[in-house]
Amino acid sequence: MNRGVAIWRCVKCRTGFFPRRFLCSRCHGDAFEEDRVYQAVVEEISTIRHMLGQTDWQPRRIASVRTSDGQQITVGLTDESEPGTVIELFEENAAPFGAAKK
Amino acid sequence: MHTNAAIIGVGQSAYTRRPQPGQSTHTFIRDAVVAALADAEIDPREVDGLAVASFSLAPDAAVWLVQDTNGGSSAMNMLGHALRAVETGAASVILVTGGDATGLGGYAKVAANFNIVTQLHLAPLGHGGPNGVYALVTSRQMKTYGLQKSDYGHLAIAQRAWAAHNPYAVYRAPMTMQDYLAAPLVADPLSRYDCVPVVAGAQAIVIAYPDRCPRGRASLRVRAHRASFNYDNQEGDGLQTGISTFAGELWRAAGVGPEDIDVASIYDDYPALVLAQLNDLGMIPGSDLARFARRDIGERRFPLNTWGGMLSAGQPGGPAGGLNGISEAVLQLQHRAGARQVDGARLAVTTGYGMTLYRYGGTAAAAVLERAE
Repeated sequence: MNRGVAIWRCVKCRTGFFPRRFLCSRCHGDAFEEDRVYQAVVEEISTIRHMLGQTDWQPRRIASVRTSDGQQITVGLTDESEPGTVIELFEENAAPFGAAKK
Repeated sequence: MHTNAAIIGVGQSAYTRRPQPGQSTHTFIRDAVVAALADAEIDPREVDGLAVASFSLAPDAAVWLVQDTNGGSSAMNMLGHALRAVETGAASVILVTGGDATGLGGYAKVAANFNIVTQLHLAPLGHGGPNGVYALVTSRQMKTYGLQKSDYGHLAIAQRAWAAHNPYAVYRAPMTMQDYLAAPLVADPLSRYDCVPVVAGAQAIVIAYPDRCPRGRASLRVRAHRASFNYDNQEGDGLQTGISTFAGELWRAAGVGPEDIDVASIYDDYPALVLAQLNDLGMIPGSDLARFARRDIGERRFPLNTWGGMLSAGQPGGPAGGLNGISEAVLQLQHRAGARQVDGARLAVTTGYGMTLYRYGGTAAAAVLERAE
């Protein structure tokens, strides 16, 4: 588990993106550097109660969040955070997760 | 307007939730192609163009004209390619087909491996494929437009009533609001009847010169066709689709307006996206989605997805699902829709929406179809 979530920042105009881009949609720059964001605000939540093709599925929570840098990303929620909650971001491999800031 | 190319025939295979041994994507597509050619009264030897879309044909691929990879927009894209190919003389009779027979487990694999972003950033969350993606979009739409859960129910219920008259639909039993609201949640706020049922099946249509339309049948003209690809780089909220980028141009090119439309086939993998596309098309007065759902759909004032839509008829993969909407528009405009016929239907709008890039779909397309007397 890594603290924060990787984003990709355009070297030319400094816009941060998630997921990764190869051309900047703002300035069409083609060079990016990896940066990290650590906080986000929960906007919408869903509980995934059923998974196609699986019979022993345990419900999981996901959320659309807005990071402190402005990206809207989808994260796995590991607690009972509700919309409006400020969460701390972390990632497992490349997958973003979050839980309420303590 | 496409004056030198027309849709002259439509056909489909049976739809089934669980394909049997010996049934495959290939056999379903074959059945749809045979049906469409018979409907168009075209000898197979006359076909000189083929467009195919499917999530489950690999390692096979189309060998002539195009294989489209835009999911729920594929049908509309292929229609556009075929119209242009016939009009420019690149081909004279084109089969446009799509189908899938992934089974439920196979579809789960498709959904988890839709693209690299999904593999890396969504599937490991247990996001539930498109259900999870569009659950979040639906929540956003409810919040933005003041919609209630039951507003989506009006769409599901109205389409189920149409499906009762479609022998190919996998779900035809009447549905009440009580049934809808009591259905188990799949991905909050989406419940069972908000999520398109995956089926095995295929669809096909035939594009050719208008004079190849079978005798005694009204010709079908495409007044305008437009498509959009990755319209906002996934930087918006997903409540507008790519249709919003071309709707004005579509209607201008068609020479008619949203108020002239008699019947609509709107790509319906989730009810929220139906409302979003209709709104983008300018078909919801004042963008009052709740009023439109309750009054126009709930009171059956507007003929929407008259074959039952994918929500009741089933989704044989996105590509064939989109072709189903086009086929239904053709049947309605040729006054061949049987018990579900809309009286005097003359103009139809059809759409496609698909390619869930990350947070919502990146492609959309629409066409205005006309009964040419």
